[in-house]
Amino acid sequence: MKTQYLIGTLFWIVVAFFIAIEAYRLGLGHFHHPGPGFIFFFGALLIIILGTIDLAINFTIKEKRGEIKKIKPLWSGLQWGKVLLALSGLIIYIYVLKYLGFFLSVFLLSVLLFNGVGSSKWWMGIGLSLITSLFFYLLFQIGLNIPFPQGFLNF
Amino acid sequence: MESLDLLLFGFSEIVTIERIIIVFLSVFIGTMIGVLPGLGPVATMSLLLPFTYNTSLLSGMIMLSGIYYGASYGGSTTSILVNIPGEASSVVTCLDGYQMARQGRAGPALGIAAIGSFIAGTMGLIGLMFLAPPLASIALKFGPPEYVSVMCTGFVLLTYLASGSTIRALMIAIVGIMLGCAGLDLETGLPRFTLGITDLLGGIEIAPFAMGLFGISEVLINIEEVLKEKRSVFSAKIKNLLPNLQDWHDSLVPIIRGSVLGFFVGILPGGGAVVSSFSSYAIEKKMSKHPERFGKGAIEGVAGPESANNSATAGAFIPLLTLGIPSNAVMALLLGGLMIHGVTPGPRFLPEHPDIFWGLIASMYVGNIFLLVINLPLIGIWVHLLQVPYKLLFPLILIFCLIGCYSINNNTFDIGVMLFFGAIGYLMRKYKFEGAPMILAFVLGPMFETSLRQSLLLSDGSFLIFLTRPIAAAGIIVSILILLSSVITFIRKRKGVIEK
Repeated sequence: MKTQYLIGTLFWIVVAFFIAIEAYRLGLGHFHHPGPGFIFFFGALLIIILGTIDLAINFTIKEKRGEIKKIKPLWSGLQWGKVLLALSGLIIYIYVLKYLGFFLSVFLLSVLLFNGVGSSKWWMGIGLSLITSLFFYLLFQIGLNIPFPQGFLNF
Repeated sequence: MESLDLLLFGFSEIVTIERIIIVFLSVFIGTMIGVLPGLGPVATMSLLLPFTYNTSLLSGMIMLSGIYYGASYGGSTTSILVNIPGEASSVVTCLDGYQMARQGRAGPALGIAAIGSFIAGTMGLIGLMFLAPPLASIALKFGPPEYVSVMCTGFVLLTYLASGSTIRALMIAIVGIMLGCAGLDLETGLPRFTLGITDLLGGIEIAPFAMGLFGISEVLINIEEVLKEKRSVFSAKIKNLLPNLQDWHDSLVPIIRGSVLGFFVGILPGGGAVVSSFSSYAIEKKMSKHPERFGKGAIEGVAGPESANNSATAGAFIPLLTLGIPSNAVMALLLGGLMIHGVTPGPRFLPEHPDIFWGLIASMYVGNIFLLVINLPLIGIWVHLLQVPYKLLFPLILIFCLIGCYSINNNTFDIGVMLFFGAIGYLMRKYKFEGAPMILAFVLGPMFETSLRQSLLLSDGSFLIFLTRPIAAAGIIVSILILLSSVITFIRKRKGVIEK
């Protein structure tokens, strides 16, 4: 329970500190003529105050009262590895799109998603990937004329 | 009478083959999204937002709004047949709808949900038609302090009604405001939080932001949790879709009550379909002569909430179109869609764009009829759709997101933004921070900052301007009262825990 509340709220408090510093550098102006950093600085301050209250309520006060709550585990028992795999595939897609072209990039990404993440049978994953990439290629690149990169295959 | 003439004008705007097809397709997609758990109307609208760039404004609005109210219809199907709500607004339908299905009355449950939704949707549209024009004329008296005040009320209400912690919802709303304000400062030309990236000088685009925060994060959460899940769909043959006389006798008043309640709750910032459906269920149970029947297959428990969530979708348009302030995440996306086309909704929206306003209302009448036609005969197809494993659907959804995002500016940077906020949205869900306050604040942020700065310029730095102008003061006082009520509720709960 501590971890769930602590990390999430702490993260935003830390981010708010950096925002406040940068906002101060941008210039707060005056109340009668707010500067570009005005809303960021006071927004960040509010986040720090609210975050501190949230930590106090959910960490300090509950701990003193000795309350125990059953909260769903954040990571254990969940397939977060598949999430990482999916995200990695999507990020790699951004980099290879220009070189491989739309059709091949979508095909390879689909194989990763169907087989690697979805754990489909290899022949089903490849078959579905082919159909998917063909469908999207025909619909978007040919049908709707969206100018995707064509890559080294010029396709 | 003038409203009826304008409604006819609206019909004339949409009676083209292209627009009728768009209405049909959008409600069909919306119903499908409502049926399929795992992808909500917000995520779908964010996926389709880029595709509205290449259409006319009215066609784009018809498409996005059709998905919204279509999803409200579709959500009831899974609630009744699978006991899994397709939509958050259909959660409460599970309680009695699934029980009716188990008693062999899936048909009447589905039928009354569809017919009740149609009646409520129509009543909501009539309310929208007659209420929006006078509200818009009141909104003409709004200046910057009034806008700040109303937006504050909206933020506070939305965070108060958030299902999780109010404090966290407020925190994330403030983050949303700051994200919305990132980019070049309009007054000084200084880049703010652009991290030296040229693509961010114009600010963060709403489409990649929304697609990532809702679409990608939704898929990532589902990959983690539901990939192995097998859904058991209620498989007995569904008969007798039309309710009998007794069903009508039991449902008519809940439908009317739900319609009126849902419409007015939908107007409230933070209200919308979810709150209205829960409120309707609570009211029907309280007013029933046999409240013990609720939770065991009472048809009123389906009729009231399903009507409420549909009329709320019409009510939600009012603050957006008359004040330019979205009342929930869906409306925030619609606002984004309008702004993409260079139109800012608000008091001047009705007089300057009557074709869009009345065309949209007319399309919703037509859409409601299509939904009644689609929902009843196509139930068999929806049941088959429910049986498609999620591991086959999610790659299509992700690739669709990539394509939609790229098509905005033909720039892979937008995909990067989408994936970044997808990861943020995923982590936010894990750590119990809601996305709805963030997207609302993101869309309103620039408007809020501009109005705030203008107000302080007007008042020479005095915050009293928000208390000396009546409408602004009313909004600020309501916001303070809501926050105080939140604090008092919290203190009472703590005292109750201590006493136990």
